[in-house]
Amino acid sequence: MITEKILDIFKGAIKNSPADQTELVCESEEFYLTRFAENLIHQNMGRSDSTIWCRAIFGKKAGVARSNDATKEGVAELLKIAGDVARNGNDDPGFQSLIRSDKAQKSQGFYKTTFDYPAASRAGDVAAIIDRAKAASLTCAGTYQTSATALCVANSLGTEQFDKTSEYRFSLTAVAPGGRSGWSQAAGRDIEQFDFLTAAQRALDKAAYPGEAVQLQSGTYNVILEPDAVANFLLLTAFLGFGGKTLHQGRSFMSEKIGQAIMASGITITEDPFHPAMQFMPFDYEGVSRRKITLVENGIAREGVYDSYYAVLAGKTSTGNALAPDNNYGPYPKAMVIAPGNSSADELIKSTPSGIYVTRFWYLNYINPMKTMVTGYTRDGTFLIEDGKITKPIVDMRVQQSMLEAFSNVELVSSEQRLIPQYGTLMLVPFLKINNFNLSAT
Amino acid sequence: MAIDIARASNLVNKTPVDLAPVQAYEDNYKSNFKIDPFTIQLAQKLEYLANLDRLMAQNSRISVRNAGLDFRKTESFFISTVGSRIYQTIVHSGVGIGLGISKSRRERFVRSFPQNGGQYESKGYELLDEFDFASAIPRLAEEAIALSTAPDCPAVNANVVLESSVVGLVIHELIGHPLELDRVFGSERNFSGTSFATTDQLGKLQYAAPIVSLVSDTTHPYGLGSLGYDDEGVRANKVDLIENGVLTGYLSSRETAARIGRASSGAMRADGWGNMPLVRMTNTNLLPGDKTLDELLAAAGDGIYMSTISSWSPSDDRSSFEFGCEIAWEIKDGKLGQIYKNPTFSGRTVEFWNSVAAIGNDGTFRVWGTPNCGKGQPGQNARTGQGTCPILVTNIKVGRA
Repeated sequence: MITEKILDIFKGAIKNSPADQTELVCESEEFYLTRFAENLIHQNMGRSDSTIWCRAIFGKKAGVARSNDATKEGVAELLKIAGDVARNGNDDPGFQSLIRSDKAQKSQGFYKTTFDYPAASRAGDVAAIIDRAKAASLTCAGTYQTSATALCVANSLGTEQFDKTSEYRFSLTAVAPGGRSGWSQAAGRDIEQFDFLTAAQRALDKAAYPGEAVQLQSGTYNVILEPDAVANFLLLTAFLGFGGKTLHQGRSFMSEKIGQAIMASGITITEDPFHPAMQFMPFDYEGVSRRKITLVENGIAREGVYDSYYAVLAGKTSTGNALAPDNNYGPYPKAMVIAPGNSSADELIKSTPSGIYVTRFWYLNYINPMKTMVTGYTRDGTFLIEDGKITKPIVDMRVQQSMLEAFSNVELVSSEQRLIPQYGTLMLVPFLKINNFNLSAT
Repeated sequence: MAIDIARASNLVNKTPVDLAPVQAYEDNYKSNFKIDPFTIQLAQKLEYLANLDRLMAQNSRISVRNAGLDFRKTESFFISTVGSRIYQTIVHSGVGIGLGISKSRRERFVRSFPQNGGQYESKGYELLDEFDFASAIPRLAEEAIALSTAPDCPAVNANVVLESSVVGLVIHELIGHPLELDRVFGSERNFSGTSFATTDQLGKLQYAAPIVSLVSDTTHPYGLGSLGYDDEGVRANKVDLIENGVLTGYLSSRETAARIGRASSGAMRADGWGNMPLVRMTNTNLLPGDKTLDELLAAAGDGIYMSTISSWSPSDDRSSFEFGCEIAWEIKDGKLGQIYKNPTFSGRTVEFWNSVAAIGNDGTFRVWGTPNCGKGQPGQNARTGQGTCPILVTNIKVGRA
């Protein structure tokens, strides 16, 4: 993994750059993963690699190039390619300038114990889970990974940032002999704080839940969503509405709705990178310090997140949410928190005379993005709730639901939150009780 | 480090792995391309895109325009204790456009060409000459405008003709993925899912109508899944997956093939040096039938014709699905009628494939490229081909998004 010394290479390249403005970014990852299925380890790996981006600016022309060669010569070649791309491109009238940032606060998200966690310990933990599963006549599949990431950003305006974070991620699917399954996952920065057996037990208990799965009719149901399912919805909702690009283009569901109610009053969503559970990389891919942003407050649309490009267009300042230089998605929140409510998860179930308990969704895809409409399936632990109790497993159902409508139909929010990883994001989210949720038999 | 990791695996795994045999090869494979896209100047590529943009901008009502080119050259060297030394150079090219009209800020109608995300093949820069964008763009613009005032697709059971790129993704999701043998055995249980097409049904399951046959074909000259060898050194070949509607084979690796007593299909692929190979689709090709597109529409009688996939969502065991398309037309007495917006079709996989009543002929065949197939943990991207023709499917559920 790279060290802070790469800043010297970057500063040298920037000094010699013929471009009007130059930006260099390096993200370096050391990644270890133990993957298991059929109660055996079938993929056990380690990988160390870096990605370097160069953004060269000539007037209002920008060019981006990417490689994995972090040597002085490699960076010089990358700068040459980015310059060629810029010179051959068209002017971007919206582009004003790269951005200068002061030194960001130090990351609190790096734990050497996570970084150094040995392969034998991961395998030993997996062996303990498999032993539990076998004792319950269950079969396990899952992943257990540890990683460390370093990010370095430098530009010709004087920005110089370097820091690193560590992370563990765990996921487990337990399967009963009849094929019914249960799921759990967990993530965090400090592996010494990780109780993997408790996390695993959630999946084992679901798979072992007695009784045959019953088939329900298509209809609208009151549902209790576990944090995994809530995160599935939140991520896809955020794509459609919380980024400065969608807001600028008027495609966001928050466009022209700032200050108005767009969700239930119990829903407050923040981008909170320094929340103790998050400890996200303190700056973004432009080197801008991250900060807390209130996206939705008590159901009222407040503001989106920005990088420097869309901040200029919107007359705002960057919120530290730039993605990598070659992305075309625009700025995006990567550390969202849904504020906790006052009810326990059990109270959400007890308050439900008739409903469905959903562990997670699968293959959610936009079917009509302009209506925030998605389709997908429930998966790995879907149960019937009768008279305030989980009574029996049910056959998984198809979801066809407007996500914004679902967040508007939230009746209760749990006090318990879980940290859910999805792609490059972390989300700290509670259980939600949602009324009038569309589910159909498959 | 690799030895430490392997020893750690032994804490759990106590049984030796059996591998299907493979021959040793010494070879230097180069994929089919006439013009190396990396010899074309950047300025020429950018001008090509600028010209596409100008063509799209000619219709003043078109407010959304995008055009893309994608070129990739992969060089790999494989060496194994079996004795193989295999050098491969594979070139892929891709091109595509999307244009659209915004009816309001949150209502947008888009048309793509040659398919959503563009068409990718194992070819060089010459691929760009195969598509007549100048003719297609005015038609697509008119279709996007028509969609903005079109009625929703009706929610009914109907005879449906699916345009061939739609069939490509349907094959990918509902035949390719469920026939990955590692997935069948449970390796993807925690992520991509399982498969309804279990090995006890091999040679028995009437997966599709008797007119449907499919092969996995890494030898195809231009498919995005064409290879000389897979990442276990298994030579390119053609394997029957479905013969006359019956499940007859799987996509496999040396390890998974050994479990059913067969040779590897040569489908073990990694997306780069940093990931372990997984069983992936190569080219999953439907064998053509005997109908022109007009004959398929005529055979449908009254029904719906759908084009260009826009959304897809299969169940984790691939036994059911829902797909959305950019556009549909009413079929009335075998002829195309009015346009419908937001069309979808859904159902159960085996019922769907057994409802195929007719398949397009050789002249309608194309290997559509999917450059972004995701699988595995950590996520890996594979490039796959689906050789397809338009098909007529009878009495399936259609609806609106």
